[in-house]
Formats: sequence, C-alpha cells, structure tokens
Amino acid sequence: MNGVSVKKADIAVLPQDNAGSEEKRLGFWLTLPAQCLVLFIAVFPILMQLYISMTDWSPLDGIPWYRAYELWIGFINYTDLASDSRFWAAMWRTFLVMIVCVPIQFLLGLGLAVLFVDEFPGKRWFYSTLLIPMMVVPAVAGYMFFLLFQSGGPVNDLLSLFSASPVKIAWLSDPSLALVAVMAADIWQWTPLMFLILLAGMISVPQDQQMAAVLLGASWGRRFFTIVLPRMKTIIIIALAIRTIEIFKIFDTLYIMTGGGPGVATETISVYIYKVTQQDLIWGYVAAIALAILIVLSVISAIAISKMSKGANAR
Amino acid sequence: MRRSLPFELLRYAMILLIIAISLVPTLWMLSMAFKPIAEWSASGAALTWWPENPTLDNFRFIFGQSSSELIVSLERTAARPIMASLLAAIVGTLIAMTAGTAAAYGLSRFGKGNNLPLALIQLRLFPPMAVMIPLMIMWSFLGLIDNWFGLAVVYGIVTLPFAFWLMKTFFDDMPREIEDAALVEGCTRLRVFAVITLPMMRPALASSALFVFIMNWSDYLIALLLTTRDWVTIPVYMTSLSSSMTGQLYGAKAALGLIAAIPPVILGIAIQKHLVRGLTFGALKE
Repeated sequence: MNGVSVKKADIAVLPQDNAGSEEKRLGFWLTLPAQCLVLFIAVFPILMQLYISMTDWSPLDGIPWYRAYELWIGFINYTDLASDSRFWAAMWRTFLVMIVCVPIQFLLGLGLAVLFVDEFPGKRWFYSTLLIPMMVVPAVAGYMFFLLFQSGGPVNDLLSLFSASPVKIAWLSDPSLALVAVMAADIWQWTPLMFLILLAGMISVPQDQQMAAVLLGASWGRRFFTIVLPRMKTIIIIALAIRTIEIFKIFDTLYIMTGGGPGVATETISVYIYKVTQQDLIWGYVAAIALAILIVLSVISAIAISKMSKGANAR
Repeated sequence: MRRSLPFELLRYAMILLIIAISLVPTLWMLSMAFKPIAEWSASGAALTWWPENPTLDNFRFIFGQSSSELIVSLERTAARPIMASLLAAIVGTLIAMTAGTAAAYGLSRFGKGNNLPLALIQLRLFPPMAVMIPLMIMWSFLGLIDNWFGLAVVYGIVTLPFAFWLMKTFFDDMPREIEDAALVEGCTRLRVFAVITLPMMRPALASSALFVFIMNWSDYLIALLLTTRDWVTIPVYMTSLSSSMTGQLYGAKAALGLIAAIPPVILGIAIQKHLVRGLTFGALKE
C-alpha cells in the first residue's frame, strides 16, 4: 500500500518490549465495549433464562420476574418439552425445509458459479443482477411471495397459461402446499448467497494444475470433479454451514407468508417459539425451549467453528 | 480459455433464464405498487401483469393522503415507521461499528489467545428467538420496550459480530510497517490509531458500516418483539397495514415494501466486492 515495502523481518528489530504492558492495557480497553455488549446479551440473559426456565412464570402472573422462584417447578418444563408433540413437529418441519432447500440452493449456486467462472461480455452486470434477491429485506421478500402465491396471482396465472386451463390453487391455505411456497421463497432469496460464496471459492482455485490437466487432455468434467471440487472443499463446507444455520432460524419470510399456518402446517421452530411467547405467554416454558436449543446449537456450532477457522488458516 | 460458440450461447440462455426468474417476484411487487385498487385483483378479476392505469395513489395513501378510490385514511402514516427504521438501523450501526472496530483493532494488533472472536461467531449462530425472553424482561425493566434506542442497542449487539469480523480482516490485511514506522518516530499507540490507521481504513470502515446497516435495516423479528406502537419499523408496520373497509391493502403494502427494499439493494450492489468477506466472517476474501 502506498509503495511501502518494508519486509516482515524488520519488525522483529523494533523495540517493542518496553511497550508491551502499554499495549496489553490498550488491547484491554479497546475490546472492553465489545466484551460488555456480549456479556450483556449472552451471559446475563442466559443465566436469567436458566432461572426462569425452572419456574412456571408468565408475565401475566403479576409478580416481577425476579420473584419467579415462588412458582418454582424444577425440571418440569424440560420433561414437558420432551413430550411436546407440537415442538417436535416444528423441529421436524424446520429440518425438512433444511434438507430440501440447502441441497437445491447448493446445486443451483454451484451451477451458476460454473457459468460465471471465466470472463465473458456482460459478466459484471449479470452478476450484480443475480445478487438482488439476497439483498431484499426478508420480510419484504415474504410479502413478494405472498403476492405471487395468491390464488389469483402470477404463479397460478403462469400455470394456467401452460396447462391451458384455469388453475386456482390456494397455495398458502393448503396445508401440503404452503410449505412448498415457503421453500420456494427461501430458495429464491438465498441461492444468490451460495452462488456468491461458491464463485469466490471457484475463482481462487489455482489455474496451473488445471492448465496442466488441459495439456494432458483431461475433459472438462474430469478437471471439475478431480481438481476444482476437491480444492473447494472448505468453501463448500462453509457455504453449507452458513445456510444450514440460517435456515434453522427461518422466520421473517415464512411468518409474513403464512404466519405458520394454515393451522400449524408451516410452523418452524422460530415461529413456534414466537407463538408461545406472544400468544400463549408461558414464558417459563419458552425459556426452557430456548435454552435447550441454545445448548444443542452450541455443540453443533463448536464443530462448525473449528471447521471454519481451519478453513481460514488454510488460506 | 476459448470456448465454442454453442457453449457461449447456451451460457447466455441459461443466465438470462435464471435472471428472468429471479427478477419476477421483485417486478411483480413493483407492478403492484403502481396499480390502482381496481387492478389489485384479489378476487376473480383477470390478472394484469403490468399496471394498465399506473398511479401513485398507493404511495400517497401510505403517507396519509386519501384518494378517490382509497377513501379510508390511515390511523398512522408510514412516515414515522420509516423514521424509526432509519434511526434504529443507523444508531445500531454506530454502536456495532464503534465497539466492533475498537475490538477488531485491539485483537488484530495485540490480542493473542483472546476468546472474543469465537464468542462473537457463536452469538451469530444462535437464533435471536432463543434469547428473546430475558431480553424482553430486561428491556421492559429498563423501559426500553417500544423505544428506538432500545431497538438500536439490540441491533448493535446482533450485528457486532459482522462489524468485528469485517474490520478484523481489514486490519489484518493492512501492513503493520506503516504503524511501526510512526511508533519508532515516537507516536503513542493511540495516536497512531487515530492519525494513521483510521484514515487509511476509511474505505473499509465505509463498506463495513454499509454492510452492517443493511443487516439492521433488514430485521423484522426483533422489531416485532420489542416495539408495539410508537416505534414500529417498516416491516412491522407493513404487516399491520390493513383496514376493515378494504381488507388487505395489497397495493399500499407493495408500495411500502418497495420503499423498504430499495436502500439495501442499492447499498448492497455498491459494496458487492466485500459481501463474501462479510458473510463468511472473513474466512473468504473477495
């Protein structure tokens, strides 16, 4: 940058030892605000969550939360959770959206990345246009798909056009189709993210080996599967991990499209927690659900993070 | 590598097809936003793909002007939710960027063995839903429910991981030799940071701030839980927008959706170079 070309080795010569304690102090003060915020949102709330999850407390009881011990019930909330069929159904639905959407997004994203990996006229323009869906506010995307899937909406109109007979499918109020509509919205919005990450990974695969393979007469498919894909392994894991985690949290789009309905047909885990929080107001139970999920996710995320940091180091 | 003409044609055909599909939902909402009420076609009437009588009535309506067709007037106009969204997102961005940049610099330069970075990634992995109960209790205790500042603080914390990781990768990329030269000249660490490092980081700060702003602006769930009336943000207001006389106000909602969708799309395209870095916590650059 700016023509500065000092070698790394020169740093060692600098007198840094006397500045050591000052630096440590500065490092502490600089990270303090962030540490406080994390403490504020993570540590303290989780302790409070643990406390409330052991009680039958609800904001309607008229006693403040710190006196929730008056309603102490121990682990009843957790044992209830194990036999809560609505919770497990929501869990399964979330999982279903995950196993349908993530592979589709991955394959579409990978296909698009292959189309974009080398230069061609208009590439920049197409690239920017393709990224638009992921930048649309998710709640607005939900409303877009709500409009699209109305029974008098464009999706049915197109279907009528192709089938040459009027189609009047009530997508969002049909229990078996509502989830399909929700998945379509998620695939629409987040395939660009997969594309973006996979393309960045594909471009960073070194050219020399591929050139050598071309000279040796390897076919495109052979090069792709034996050189490009293995080299992209870490990036593929990162992309899949990000989408899996985000789909687990899916709420905005879905809630605006269907509100979890009809009935509970599209109720995912976040929607379920939201409904128990806002409508049923049994906060002691919600705290137990949330804490259980946090513990499970911590284990999963610890694995994901070790993969990710390994990936960061490998680069 | 030269490829054959049929391949190039096939490539364009496929890209154009995918782009067409990916633009349909956005264009449909755009079309709805400019349609007069008669063309909303909620019931029976034939569907028109493009407004036959384009009108700005929907936009006028959400800002409080009734028209010949939409004679109902709104209890509250969209002006305040737009202000609430802007205020909470901007202040939230400032909080995240201030704390994030300071921590990123501290850890990039003299942080070894600190576990803050991992704690921040973990923070991002958890569904916000999972800490909402304690947060709502704390916020109502502090009087921060339905308050733009309360919302901004939560936004600041939720997007802190992005601000931190983006800035950390930018600091890691910056050659330290420039700072070291100034240190040898006798500058204090703090002065080096303020006079040399920060000005050099201006483009990085700008793109990180825009990235964080988009994240904050896109929120729906947190505002849904923490605001009730006076400080609802655009998406929350949008879902509440319906009237007993006209039912679902499709066109008005589409107009509002358009207003909400435009800023992040423009800003996102402006910083597309850094999107990958931001979205993968710096694991991937460019």
